[in-house]
Amino acid sequence: MSLKRITKELNDLGRDPPTSCSAGPVGDDLYHWQASIMGPPDSPYAGGVFFLSIHFPTDYPFKPPKISFTTKIYHPNINANGNICLDILKDQWSPALTISKVLLSICSLLTDANPDDPLVPEIAHIYKTDRAKYEATAKEWTKKYAV
Amino acid sequence: MTTISAKLVCAESLYKRDVFRFPDPFAVLTIDGSQTKSTSAAKKTLNPYWNESFKFVNVNENSILTIQVFDQKKFKKKDQGFLGVVNVRIGDVLGHLDEDLNNNEHQETITRDLKKSNDGAVVSGRLIISLSKLNGNASNSSSSATRHSSATNNTTPGRNNTVRSNGSNTNTSNRGHNSTSTNSHTRSTSSSASATTSNNISSAAATGASTSNGSRSADSQRQYSSFEDQYGRLPPGWERRTDNFGRTYYVDHNTRTTTWKRPAMEQVSAGTSSSTNGNSSTESDARRQQYRGRSLPGNSEHGSGNATPTTPTTTGNASSAGNTNAAAMAATGGTTSGLGELPPGWEQRYTPEGRAYFVDHNTRTTTWVDPRRQQYIRTYGPTNNSIQQQPVSQLGPLPSGWEMRLTNTARVYFVDHNTKTTTWDDPRLPSSLDQNVPQYKRDFRRKVIYFRSQPALRILPGQCHIKVRRKNIFEDAYQEIMRQTPEDLKKRLMIKFDGEEGLDYGGVSREFFFLLSHEMFNPIYCLFEYSSHDNYTIQINPNSGINPEHLNYFKFIGRVVGLGVFHRRFLDAFFVGAFYKMMLRKKVVLQDMEGVDNEVYNSLKWILENPIEGILDLTFSVDDDRFGEIVTIDLKADGRDVEVTDENKKEYVELFTQWKICDRIKEQLKAFMDGFNEIIPEDLVTVFDERELELLIGGIAEIDVDDWKKHTDYRGYQESDQTIQWFWKIVSEWDNEQKARLLQFTTGTSRIPVNGFKDLQGSDGPRRFTIEKAGEIDQLPKSHTCFNRVDLPSYDNYESMKQKLTIAVEETIGFGQE
Repeated sequence: MSLKRITKELNDLGRDPPTSCSAGPVGDDLYHWQASIMGPPDSPYAGGVFFLSIHFPTDYPFKPPKISFTTKIYHPNINANGNICLDILKDQWSPALTISKVLLSICSLLTDANPDDPLVPEIAHIYKTDRAKYEATAKEWTKKYAV
Repeated sequence: MTTISAKLVCAESLYKRDVFRFPDPFAVLTIDGSQTKSTSAAKKTLNPYWNESFKFVNVNENSILTIQVFDQKKFKKKDQGFLGVVNVRIGDVLGHLDEDLNNNEHQETITRDLKKSNDGAVVSGRLIISLSKLNGNASNSSSSATRHSSATNNTTPGRNNTVRSNGSNTNTSNRGHNSTSTNSHTRSTSSSASATTSNNISSAAATGASTSNGSRSADSQRQYSSFEDQYGRLPPGWERRTDNFGRTYYVDHNTRTTTWKRPAMEQVSAGTSSSTNGNSSTESDARRQQYRGRSLPGNSEHGSGNATPTTPTTTGNASSAGNTNAAAMAATGGTTSGLGELPPGWEQRYTPEGRAYFVDHNTRTTTWVDPRRQQYIRTYGPTNNSIQQQPVSQLGPLPSGWEMRLTNTARVYFVDHNTKTTTWDDPRLPSSLDQNVPQYKRDFRRKVIYFRSQPALRILPGQCHIKVRRKNIFEDAYQEIMRQTPEDLKKRLMIKFDGEEGLDYGGVSREFFFLLSHEMFNPIYCLFEYSSHDNYTIQINPNSGINPEHLNYFKFIGRVVGLGVFHRRFLDAFFVGAFYKMMLRKKVVLQDMEGVDNEVYNSLKWILENPIEGILDLTFSVDDDRFGEIVTIDLKADGRDVEVTDENKKEYVELFTQWKICDRIKEQLKAFMDGFNEIIPEDLVTVFDERELELLIGGIAEIDVDDWKKHTDYRGYQESDQTIQWFWKIVSEWDNEQKARLLQFTTGTSRIPVNGFKDLQGSDGPRRFTIEKAGEIDQLPKSHTCFNRVDLPSYDNYESMKQKLTIAVEETIGFGQE
């Protein structure tokens, strides 16, 4: 079930690649992928390229893939280990979702952070109280780690 | 059986507890906790010389002679006066008692250091004791105390032939104890046990003054029943007993625990068992505490509310005057004394566990039932108030260990001497036979009583000894339990922890099951794993085969679970709901997936509720990870080539659920059930449903409603709302079983986190108990076990809510109430 579905998703990605994202298997293991996301132009992450690692559970697509950033990023919903706080990767997962749709959701999370459901409360606090400082730090981190 | 003579020669170098005075030491000798004798008190010395001999009958080589030394002046004060104890196994000194029948002269003198008691008070010094086996004729001797003028042997350990069994030069003073008197060192029942033979406590008339002192102190002890002592009455439900070593311990019948510490009135519930000297952390102590509070209805008075006769103040024999202790005795299973003489040819005896039974020498039969007690049940006639009497035998005999009694209002109740509990329910009647119980009501309590009364669940005669090392409990228990036959395991369990002295009155075996359940279900051994639902319900690990011996272990674990049920010990482990269903050989359904893996459950539900064609490319197959190797498994013949469509997706969901929950662990479950059914027959356990089975295995915890309420969230309600007030009022009024069922209904398990409701877990991390305003008032409440949430319609009156909530909680079979 999972292997067939993952193969299909890989083919779909090749045929119709989403804008500003890419994804594919790391080696022979189809259950372990790497993905990249271009920092959205209207965000402090513009100009950076962020890498992510994707692990498919054998129950995929009944269970969500495990996705984490491997590039350091300054964001209220992404912590130092690269873990992402995103509802569709947790209780809002549906088997109809695909890696392509998930990556697009992550892109929009970079544009519009969700400071009310933060993974890193300190960053969320700065995001809410001193937006300029947040943007400056995010740009600095992007330059330092993602360019 | 053998009669032995024990001569306590002297003690040396006793500990000087007081600066300005010497103790007046005397010693109490006890064999196997049943025959108790005491010496006179020596005056003002640390080196008392008694040289008193005592005869003990019915001794075997495993008998333990306990000699405790006390200061007579301080003996009555709490925790004072104790000068040390020596325990001697007779066989260690005299060898095999039955082997050397011709060697009647055999005598050994030993010197033993005095040991501390559990309170840890310093002791010092040693005792010199002579033990000898008496020949058969010696038991005819009316005297058991000897006093020798020769003092030459008092300090010389070694062979000693001066003591003979004929007692020719003895000077006996009979203190006139009779069989019904109570010595403080034995509970009342066992003191009369020693009356079966000529067993008046005798002592040497050594020095007149000390003898009379000694008997005065004994007299002052004697007036205490086992429910009081020199400090006053014990708290309600507590009893004082003495173990085989003559040590006093306290039984809390409320929680069915024992402790060495005398309970104070205010700390009644803080029961600590005799074996808590582990190095456990606060967390595991908290777990232990919670575990100890677990109970089952029908097994104890605990939480069964009005179901238990609390004050049966008299027995059926209306003429039994002086029956003041009847209420207390009923609670402990003791037999009331003071009923007068037994009929001719009858004799009262005691089992090794101290339970009274009656021997009818006329018919050569034994019975638990006191022949002095009237054997008729009086029942009120169906139409009038006339009292009908019918013999108790109409339904056939009661199960072993059960007795029928009457309250003072002539209501029949039943005493289960096996568990020392009482109940209104006749154990011979399955609940379905009782016309008064509506069919829809699932009466767990009656089921438990019925279940317990089945012959296959009776404890077999004999003992089953299991000795384990605390640190190695899993492996040791595996060896011990697997080497015995299932029949052996059905004998009375005697658990012993290596290097620890505790005797198994229940506390030790409770500790054993507590510790063992933490080990054998520990996911570190890969036999079990946590469900994805939370981190405290467990399920069989499908990859357990990494341990090539895993099936033997599952069989062992099945036996242990069966043993726990059989011997009424709870396991501190809670399985996913589906596991209990599988134990009952019930088919698992999609709802069961919720407790196993909530994400998969949601996806399967999504499949049923949404069109999937063109969106999900599924076939009737699954990919399974076998240690990194992905294996494709067909859910039906050639399933990998069969597309899942909107038409056949229901079948797919069923097959997938079956595979995910059952098929992957089929072998393990079979091994587990083989072990379990060796102890508990399959057809008996099926009287329970899966939720009741959880309670049977894990017990029902004391549920703290205040803590529950304190850590509850509301959605659409305020805590002050009338509906919410009613809700908590209903919950508070329920007994523990119903509370546990409400927990099962709302959270999927009756388990409470160790640290209380604040740590309640949902499928996505911590989730407090939540009451949401949802549903119509003519509907039943619903639950979402993943989120520990109950949807409670805002019912417009208390009665209606109580009825709806009760039905929802009691009627709902199966987990997951979406």
